Amino acid sequence: MGELVASRHPGDVLGAIGLGSCIGLALIDPRTGVAGLAHVMLPATPAGGTGTPAKFADTAVPALTDAVVRLGGMKSRLVAVLAGGAQMLGAAGVRLDVGARNDAAVRSALAGAGLRVGAAETGGTRGRTLRVHVGECWVTVKEAGGPLEYLWPRDAARERGRRWATG
Amino acid sequence: MAGYSNLQLDALREMANVGSGMAGTALSHLVGRSVDISVPKAMAIPAAEAVEAIGDPEATVTAVMLGIAGELEGIVAMLFAHADEAALCGLLGVETGGELGHSAMCEIGNILGASYLGALTAMSGMVLEPTPPQMVTDMLGAIVASALVPTVGSLDAALLLDSSLHIEGVACSCSFLLLPTAASAGELLARLGVPA
Repeated sequence: MGELVASRHPGDVLGAIGLGSCIGLALIDPRTGVAGLAHVMLPATPAGGTGTPAKFADTAVPALTDAVVRLGGMKSRLVAVLAGGAQMLGAAGVRLDVGARNDAAVRSALAGAGLRVGAAETGGTRGRTLRVHVGECWVTVKEAGGPLEYLWPRDAARERGRRWATG
Repeated sequence: MAGYSNLQLDALREMANVGSGMAGTALSHLVGRSVDISVPKAMAIPAAEAVEAIGDPEATVTAVMLGIAGELEGIVAMLFAHADEAALCGLLGVETGGELGHSAMCEIGNILGASYLGALTAMSGMVLEPTPPQMVTDMLGAIVASALVPTVGSLDAALLLDSSLHIEGVACSCSFLLLPTAASAGELLARLGVPA
């Protein structure tokens, strides 16, 4: 939670496990296979700031972009994939809409940086796990007790089938 | 440990001990069996590590959560693995997962949570009341993160008080988490006589 990781090693899997109101933000360069993942907890850095940029949507986007570019990604090719931002708790006496605010803040920061969103699975009331496969660049999302689904690219499932068939 | 001395953690652990003792007594009355309490853990750790300190983030658990209102802000959460939930419902004579099972779990959470908070009130002198219980079955990581983020907010260190209740003779355990906001934790410590 509140952390950031990037890789260019094919076969690495970056995971954001148990996303409730948090947003798992992936940035992928499909050409070079470089990918990064940030686990964003809150929409905006508070006054005074802290040392963990990945935690807040407004600082996570530039920090993640930097990390991916440093490993060989090119900003103009980057695709963003998001998951999370659920509202899992109702009236437990705390502010309820962090999930939705995180979703909005991440998208706003991405738009401000000129980065496009390739796919998103956000909102609702269920927790999700997001995984990014570096190199081949596909992204999966899974809910508790649910099936593993390919989130990006859209034809990833079909492509995988073809790869297995040819051994 | 960010900002909490050993003395303070000891005080919090003791408070968690008394709280879970009261909750354990209540549970024992409910199910008609003895209930054991583990030694509580008091941890002040970065939010990023908090989930794994509690358990496997991807494991599916049932959580019954109560907000705390009054002079302390935060959440009390009781966590059950599926087998524990089934065992508990079995002891109460209801089926897991249906409406009755859901009500029974919420009611248990309500009673245990209220006992825990009652003990905290007695020890700290702070007026505390639970808000209505909520039950969620989902990945541990998602549940704890969703509870931690509003309480921890922008701070790096989350304060977790973790204790377990075990029903004797039945494979049923429940984890108890107290997640106070940072400001509340400070106030609580002051009332317990170990201010910052």
